[in-house]
Amino acid sequence: MSFVVAPDDASSIPRRDAAARAHLAAVGAARAPMVLARDRALIVHGPLADAVPSVQRGTVIAAGGEPGSGLTSAVLGIAAAATAAGEWAAMVDDAGTLGGLAAAEAGVDLARFAVVRSVPRDRWATVVAALLEGVSVVLAEIPRSVRVGDARRLAARARERSAVLVAFAPDARAWPVEAALRLQTQGGAWAGIGEGDGVLAGRALAVEVTARGRSTIVPMRASLELAG
Amino acid sequence: MDGPVAVLDHHRVLAASAEARHAGVRTGNRRREAEASCPEITILDVDPADEARVFEPVARAVELITPRVVLDRPGVLSFPTRGPSRYHGGDGGLADRIRDAVGTAGIVDLRIGIADGGFAARLAARRSVIVPVGETPTFLAAWPVGALGDEPLADLLTRLGLRTLGAFAELPASAVLARLGREGLTAHRLARGEDAHPPALTTPPPDFEESTELDPPADRVDAVAFVAKGLADRLLERLAARGLACTQVVVEVESEHGEHLSRAWRHEGALTPGALVERVRWQLDGWLTETGGLSGGLTRLRLIPDQVIPASGRQLGFWGGDAAASDRAERVFARLQGLLGPEHVVTAVPQGGRTPSERIRWVPWGEPREPAPHAPIGPVAGPVTVETPPWPGTIPGPAPARVLDPPTAASLLDGSGRPVMVSARGDLSSPPTEVRSAVLPNGGGAITAFAGPWAQDVRWWDRTSRSRRVTWQVVIEEQLACLVNVERGAASITAIYD
Repeated sequence: MSFVVAPDDASSIPRRDAAARAHLAAVGAARAPMVLARDRALIVHGPLADAVPSVQRGTVIAAGGEPGSGLTSAVLGIAAAATAAGEWAAMVDDAGTLGGLAAAEAGVDLARFAVVRSVPRDRWATVVAALLEGVSVVLAEIPRSVRVGDARRLAARARERSAVLVAFAPDARAWPVEAALRLQTQGGAWAGIGEGDGVLAGRALAVEVTARGRSTIVPMRASLELAG
Repeated sequence: MDGPVAVLDHHRVLAASAEARHAGVRTGNRRREAEASCPEITILDVDPADEARVFEPVARAVELITPRVVLDRPGVLSFPTRGPSRYHGGDGGLADRIRDAVGTAGIVDLRIGIADGGFAARLAARRSVIVPVGETPTFLAAWPVGALGDEPLADLLTRLGLRTLGAFAELPASAVLARLGREGLTAHRLARGEDAHPPALTTPPPDFEESTELDPPADRVDAVAFVAKGLADRLLERLAARGLACTQVVVEVESEHGEHLSRAWRHEGALTPGALVERVRWQLDGWLTETGGLSGGLTRLRLIPDQVIPASGRQLGFWGGDAAASDRAERVFARLQGLLGPEHVVTAVPQGGRTPSERIRWVPWGEPREPAPHAPIGPVAGPVTVETPPWPGTIPGPAPARVLDPPTAASLLDGSGRPVMVSARGDLSSPPTEVRSAVLPNGGGAITAFAGPWAQDVRWWDRTSRSRRVTWQVVIEEQLACLVNVERGAASITAIYD
C-alpha cells in the first residue's frame, strides 16, 4: 500500500517530520515555480515611465483620449516597452493613419512592429486574438460596438498568452469589461511654437491613470513630456 | 561504357542513361528497384569531381555560342536564351546549334530544354522539349508535385489531393502563404511558372569580390581549394553582414602564362561556404586536369558574387531576441496576411523625404525592409552609416503620430474670413487665424499659435508631377496641433500630432 501526498496536505503531516516537510516544499516549488511580479512585467522607458513605470503581462490596459490629446503617443510608448525587451508588438490601425516616424521616435523598433490595416468589423476580434497569440503587446483601437463577450474572450486570451492588450478609443470607458489599468490622456500645452515663429518642440501631457487595486480605485495624475 | 548505366547518390538514382530509362529506371529509384527493372545495368556511385572534368569541354563548347553560361552542377548548365535564340533563328535553331557544338566535344546523349524561367527549363530538359513562349504554365501543370524537389512538401500536397503542379498553382497565393509559410509560397511561385526570387533579387554591391595571389603558382586542386575555403568564408561573411546571401558566384582564375578563365555557378537557395568551395573544386578539376584548360599553375583566384538575395531568415534570434518568439510572431503575421491579404499587414521603413508621409514607406510584412540601392561599400566595421541626402523644406520638430494620406480637405482662413494665400515667392497674404476641417474635433477652431510656412518645390524638373506647396504647423485652441498644407490654393490637413 502506498500513499501519495499532495502539496495541499502539508498541514496533515506531523509537525516534527522536518525531512518530509522539506521534501514537500521542494516538490511544491518544482511543480509550481514561483514567478516574481517583476519578471512578469514589461518595463516602460521614455516619458511615459513617469505615469506607468511598468505593465503587467497578461493584462488589459484601456486607454482613452480625444484626437490630438496624445493618445497615440502614449500607447506607442507601451509598444516600445515590448520591442525594447527584444519582443514583438503589433497595432490594429483600421484607418491606416499611424505615423511610422512617430512610432520610431516613441522608441518602437520598427523591425519588430507590425501594423494591421483595414480590418473588417466582423473580424476585429479574430485579428486581435490572433495577434495576442504571437506578440507581447497588441495595440488595438476599440470599434464602436465591441461586444462584451468578445472583450471578455480577448482579456482571457491575453491572460492565457501572457500578452498585454492595449485597447484604446477616444473614451477609455469604451472597453466594456474590466481592465488592470485605465489611462486617459488629457492633452497639454505645446512648447516652442509662437505666433508665426518657432517650431513645435513638445508638450507637457497630462495622463490620468486609474489602477485597479484590491478594492479601491486610486487615481494618479502624472505630467510628462511627450513628443508628438 | 556500353550498356545501361545509372549513377547513384545517397543510394538513390541521380541519373540514368537513355537505355536504362527505356528499361524503366527512374530518377529517385533505389538500387534494388533499378536492378529489378533492368538486370544488366551498371551502377556507379556519384563522383562530382570526375563529372566536372568530363563536363568542362561541354561548358567550353556552349560558351562559344553564348557568353552567359551558368553551371548548376556538373552535368547541368543553363543560360538565358532570348539573345542567342534571336541570333540563331529561334529556339529550335539554337538547340540544334548547341547540339552540334556539344557533339563535336564528343557528347551525344544530350538533353536540351527551353522554357520561361529556370525551373521550367530544367524540367523541360528532362524530356528534351522546347516550350513555346507563354505556354510554360500549361507545360508545368501536368508535372507531379514531386518535381518541386521538396519531398516533405510534395508529400503534404499529395495527401491534400493536389497531385500536379497545375492543381497546386490554382490555389490562391495568400492561402498557400497562410498554410505552408514562406517556403510554400516559393514553391507556389515555381509551380505557377514564375521564378523563385525575382522581386527580392538584388544586384550585388560592387567590390564584394574576394581574391588572392597564389605564390608559388598552384597546380594542384587541393592546394587551391584550401585557399578558396578562406576566400569563401570571408566573402559570405561580408555579404551576411549586409544581410545578403549569394545564389550565384563567378569563379575566376589567372595562370602563370597569363591565361584568364572564369565560369559562373549557381545554387538553389543560398550558397554555404562548403557548397561554394565544392564548386570551386569542381571547376578547378575541369580546368587543371582536362586538356585544353590551363597550361600553367594558378597565380590568382577570385570569387565574385554574381547574384545575391536578401538573407531571409532565422538570424533574428541572433540579436538577443528569442527565436521561438520570433517564429511565433512570423507565423501569426503570415496567418493574418492569409486572412486579410498581404498588404493588410505592414511594417514601416524610414526613408528620405520632406513630409511625414514621404518619410515612411509601408511594406507588406515579410518583404525585404532593406531599400538596397545605396549599399555602403567595403568591409563593414561597427555601425553602418548610410549617407542621406538633404531634403530642403523638411518639417522640423517631433513627428506627428497620425498621418492622413491622402490629406483631408480643410479651409485655412485669415482674420477677415478669407482663405490664406501664398505668393509664388512664399510670401504670406495674412497670418492664419482659423482652420476648419471635418477631420478635426468640433470641426476645427481658432489658431492660437502657428509656425512656418515651409515651402516645398517638389520635382521642379518634371512639368507633369511638379508640385509646389507650403506647410504650417498649427495649434488649435492651445491643444490640438496639426500640419496644414496649401497647394494650388487649396488647404488640407496632412497630419495630426496625437
